[in-house]
Amino acid sequence: MTSLSETREEFFISLYKKAFPAVAKYVSRMGGSFDEAKDVFQDALVVYYEKAVAAKPANDIAWLVGIAKHLWLRRHRGESQNIPLDNIELSIDEEETPSENRLMHFLETAGKKCMELLRGFYYDQLPLTEIAEQFGYSGVRSATVQKYKCLEKVRETIKEKALTYDDFME
Amino acid sequence: MMTLWNETEQIELHLLGQYDTGNALVFEARMLIDPELGDRVLWQKKTYGIIQTYSRRQLKKEIEAVHQKLFTQTEHVSFSQKIRRLFTDQ
Repeated sequence: MTSLSETREEFFISLYKKAFPAVAKYVSRMGGSFDEAKDVFQDALVVYYEKAVAAKPANDIAWLVGIAKHLWLRRHRGESQNIPLDNIELSIDEEETPSENRLMHFLETAGKKCMELLRGFYYDQLPLTEIAEQFGYSGVRSATVQKYKCLEKVRETIKEKALTYDDFME
Repeated sequence: MMTLWNETEQIELHLLGQYDTGNALVFEARMLIDPELGDRVLWQKKTYGIIQTYSRRQLKKEIEAVHQKLFTQTEHVSFSQKIRRLFTDQ
């Protein structure tokens, strides 16, 4: 059985090979650096992934290159000349507060197992049967029960941590 | 008697607007008489935001790992050279 992270790695390698040359060429022609090309492309991949989870766009490579170009223009021309692109939400570079960082670090270590399960459900939107299989549950029902148990556990952790971090969220 | 994870499921239905009208009203009435339930609803709403942030962070790490692989491993050398040339010939 191929793991979820292996599947994603193959997916991103393939997208890199197909789309990054066009993005790098564009950024280079516009006077940008390798690191800038890398940054906009990686942000575009996140946007692409989040959109493709819901519905895979037609002509996806052109679409991905388009997002990256759009991000590059936005970065260099500023918000005032923002060009809408299919109403895509591009707010992916928001800053995290120190307390959010601490919470993330905590969840990445102590709460990893639950967080990965919740990620599979809500972010990757994997089919229930695949989640059950990948996370080693006997079936869809027990995976669903575990999801709610994890959700509750993480909710209580966040609440508890929020009371100790004074700059936590609003 | 309701188990706790069952309540978590109900909060989810409420937050995602997946209840039918009758059950939605019952749930809202329960929130009114039980402030602690309202509190849990609030924290659960924040939890979905945290899951999104967490997931995005992990995805970015995976993408960075793919980038490092493509630009350091010899099996991808023709690809990485092709890209690098675009920036050295400027």
